Amino acid sequence: MLRFIAGRLIVGSSVGLTLSIVTFFLLNYVIDPAQAIAGEDALFEEIEQIREQYGFDRSITVRYFEWFSGIFQGDLGISYYWNKPVISLLIDRAPETITLALMSVSVTILISIPLGILAALNPNSLIDRIALGIAVTAQAVPNFWLGLIMILIFALAIPIFPVSGDKTLFHFVLPSIVLGASSVPAVMRLMRTGLLDVINADFIRTARSSGFYGWRLVFNHALRNALLPVVSVLAVQLGNKFGGSVITESVFAINGLGRLALESILGADIPTVQILVFVFAIIFLFFNLLADILNAYLDPRLRL
Amino acid sequence: MSKLKSLILTLLISLMFPINVFADKSDDTFVAAFSRELTQLDYHYGTKTEFLILGDMIDSGLFYVNREDLSYVPDIASDYKIVDDTTIDINLRKNAKFHDGSNVTADDVVYTYNFIVKNEKNRRSKKIKGWMESIEKTGTHSVRFKSKYPYANLFNDLYRIKIRKNGIMGTEGNWNDSAQLNELNGTGPYKVVSFDPGVEVVLVRNDDYYGGPKGKPAIKNVIIRSIPDMGTQQAELMSGGIHWMYNVKKDIGEAMAKTGKADYQLGPSLRVGFLVLDAGGYSGEGNPITKLDVRRAMNHAINRDSIAKNLIGGPAKAVHTACNPVVFGCFQDVKKYEYNPEGAKKLLAKAGYPNGFDLDLWSYRDKEAAQAMAEDLGKVGIKVNLKHGKLSALNKARKNREIRAYFGTWGSTASPDTATISNIHWRDPAKGDRNLSGDPKVNELMLGAEQTLDVEKRKSLYAQGLKLIADQAYWVPLWSYSEGVLSSKSIDFKLDPDGYPRLWNITWK
Amino acid sequence: MIFKTFIKRLFPRSFDNDIYNLTPKDLIIRKSSNHGGFKFGLALLIIIFLFAIFGPIILDVSPYEQDLTKRLLPPVWKEGGSWEYIFGTDGNGRDYFARILYGTRISLTIGFGAACVGMIIGVTLGVCAGYFGGWVDQIVSYLLTCQLALPGLLLAMTIVFLIGPSITVVIFVIGATHWAFFLVVSRSATQKIKNLDYVTSARAIGASKFQIIMRDIIPNTFSQIIVIFTLEVGIAILNEASLSFLGVGIQPPTPSWGLLIAEGKEAIFFQPWLIILPGIALFTLVVSINMMGDGLRDITDPNSKISEE
Repeated sequence: MLRFIAGRLIVGSSVGLTLSIVTFFLLNYVIDPAQAIAGEDALFEEIEQIREQYGFDRSITVRYFEWFSGIFQGDLGISYYWNKPVISLLIDRAPETITLALMSVSVTILISIPLGILAALNPNSLIDRIALGIAVTAQAVPNFWLGLIMILIFALAIPIFPVSGDKTLFHFVLPSIVLGASSVPAVMRLMRTGLLDVINADFIRTARSSGFYGWRLVFNHALRNALLPVVSVLAVQLGNKFGGSVITESVFAINGLGRLALESILGADIPTVQILVFVFAIIFLFFNLLADILNAYLDPRLRL
Repeated sequence: MSKLKSLILTLLISLMFPINVFADKSDDTFVAAFSRELTQLDYHYGTKTEFLILGDMIDSGLFYVNREDLSYVPDIASDYKIVDDTTIDINLRKNAKFHDGSNVTADDVVYTYNFIVKNEKNRRSKKIKGWMESIEKTGTHSVRFKSKYPYANLFNDLYRIKIRKNGIMGTEGNWNDSAQLNELNGTGPYKVVSFDPGVEVVLVRNDDYYGGPKGKPAIKNVIIRSIPDMGTQQAELMSGGIHWMYNVKKDIGEAMAKTGKADYQLGPSLRVGFLVLDAGGYSGEGNPITKLDVRRAMNHAINRDSIAKNLIGGPAKAVHTACNPVVFGCFQDVKKYEYNPEGAKKLLAKAGYPNGFDLDLWSYRDKEAAQAMAEDLGKVGIKVNLKHGKLSALNKARKNREIRAYFGTWGSTASPDTATISNIHWRDPAKGDRNLSGDPKVNELMLGAEQTLDVEKRKSLYAQGLKLIADQAYWVPLWSYSEGVLSSKSIDFKLDPDGYPRLWNITWK
Repeated sequence: MIFKTFIKRLFPRSFDNDIYNLTPKDLIIRKSSNHGGFKFGLALLIIIFLFAIFGPIILDVSPYEQDLTKRLLPPVWKEGGSWEYIFGTDGNGRDYFARILYGTRISLTIGFGAACVGMIIGVTLGVCAGYFGGWVDQIVSYLLTCQLALPGLLLAMTIVFLIGPSITVVIFVIGATHWAFFLVVSRSATQKIKNLDYVTSARAIGASKFQIIMRDIIPNTFSQIIVIFTLEVGIAILNEASLSFLGVGIQPPTPSWGLLIAEGKEAIFFQPWLIILPGIALFTLVVSINMMGDGLRDITDPNSKISEE
């Protein structure tokens, strides 16, 4: 197990390294950071001044190595755009995104698990079809659109929730629904097929023939087995929420990492985008590793 | 039924109330929204209009742009005397104070300008160093500027440099550029209470403020929130979360006004739109744009009046000069190209393009107008491939001399002088990449007008330059813009003739 | 890797059973004619296709023609609407119905284009990894991890910035960031097939590796690839809409649905149809594609019962 984890960590960090090189060169090639820092109506002198001040006139490779050696000394760089150390931006913005990610995964759980169970217990019934309908719908609705529609309905037509911002947990309700909805189809289907498989499995049949029926059976035996893969997939989904928060956070004006990423890309803030891509990748890899460990731990058949 | 309704309503209100404690007149707190984020407080390190507004609220320069007649008036300066072409004496106000309570003296002014000029890393350094020879203290409250040549746009620069307290940005050789980015010891009508970059800045009225041309502010607390999405801003305005938003387009502003929840003003703006044409052939020698008839055809092809009236609305008007007609030096008696698609087709045929040609048109702002123009050009045979993107992409292409035509706009925010737009657009191509005319005469005339203090001589140089630009159709001047502001019913906000929102002058109704 | 188990769960039967046991054609036809979701999705998709292809030809409408004096007209069912512009007009006075109609073409082009690009990358890598195994497999799985770990939207934005937005660029960018499913499915299918009798005998009679891959392996992974392909078309269409929404996708005036939504976004409270109509169009297309994909999965699955649904 330890060797497995160590191996995955090595792969993870080299993936992170590859991505950092790719993004650094891409970003520096694409954008003129000096103009971006200076702003729209900036004067030529100001742009040139910035170019020299930040050393954009040096070669990309030199700047990459400078950046990379900085990382090892715990210096994540200073944001051009925000004039702050990137690390403090991360610390400022992370709580919002963590809240959003956790809440949206909760939304996913609250919707998809009960629906999946009900659908599996009543295959081909009306409820199964409704569940399928919800899954198909959630899969096909773009989340920027859903966000706007949610604001239109639940913040203006019926003013229950605040339009935007992140001051209280209440502000996070609509964005979490929007972000959580995108994971509903996968988790619900998994729950349904998983549970169907378990119900049809031999040991449940045995349990049934020995007199266990109904909900107790479902909860005591089937559910426990069917939940295993769901838990690990949820871990992966949680990892996905960080990189996936870009649009939702912009629509709802939540000051998290996703909005930071978008603003930094538009503001050509290479140091911040750089670190964010890296951080999103690491979070994704971490939750994947976690899911694998969970899987291996919970399901001995996979422990090869 | 109505009982149920009221029950639901009460329930909803009770649900809402603890969360949305709105700032309002009762606690003397005004909330404004900007769509672009404020990333720091020090105006010397930012150029966006948003920074200028904030800068005027918390800082002061030696001069200021008067809201009524758009002239430069002394701000921290009390009066001034032009000694000769290159020397100006400035007396300072005795009652100006920094937010920490200390008086503004000649030492602070000398320190500020020395910091700007001597600190290579400062963003304004090159610009000021371009003309400034020296600054010296001539008394406790008086200074003398010497310039390298007669510099016409001096007051604009003296307005844009905000006065810093002696020593606060470090000392020579040991400058500290980030000293005032997140907290600020300014001299303006408001003090910073707290600042969360990209989120909000909270200001409180500076009760020791000297007044000056900006006047003493009426509202005690001001919060400026960054809300990137315009739709979200509207929703906040309707639900009472903010009181003020700007850059609001005509259709939305009018629709909002109809709901009765906000007032809409669509007033003039100093911003103008224009197409810059590669007459000089930088993007490829002998390209269609290098031909005068083609450029004239493009000038004739675009229905400026229709776009200005229908898309932008308000006081927006067709413009025929390479500057906004209301600013100083913008001579109007130039060759005018009226909308005439048939004439444009003839000119194209004459130039050897009876079937038109393909053109990449770059743009980064005002997508609707860009599309309308593309359509107009298409009607005379110029098949436009619109490359609408972010400014940084356009800038990169411009730097690489890949741009044949682009749709630019220039705000001239609070700088009512042709110098502001011509300085960057007509400079020597070796020192800037926006002058695509390939004609040294334009540069000579338009920038020459900045190197004299003689008003009549300046006017005549601009007149010659603008005539040349129009004759040779180096640009397609398009229209002036309008500034749209939505404000809540509880506040009294008036748009000024330059469209620059002076938030510190807002009062409660 | 968890990703694989995830796919296994989604396609449980296709993994557990022998894919080489080809389903007879008539069985597939019988199954598809009994599969309600599949029939519905297919019918809807055919209708959308017909609209996209013939609509603009039959109905003489232009998505580009502007009339600035007729801006933001409401759709016919709203007060002030007229039959001349069924869906009203947009901010530049263009026929919104025509724009949405043409948008179907854009979405379909990008959906199929991007899924093809993704398929070519994913299947090539997957078959190579499955067939050669060893270090090839390791490199491919490394690439897979990279692709999965990369925040796709951010990467896509950056690349579109780099090359400048156009339909081709968007197709390639989306394709290049969506090949993981193809890879995983084709890899495991290849692993199973390559040791089967007919492949080993082909090898024995001297067929080259390339021949074996092209003739024996790829055709046999087809039934699973087509399922993934269909689902990826839907994902690609949504991705294009997101990119265009953020302003780094399709260029105006091309009527991409995502772009229409982005353009109507500011007026959400006053002209809500500007975002609702293209949203519904987008939703209908993606739903029909997904239902067809789900149906295909059930149908091509050799173990699913004919009577199901």
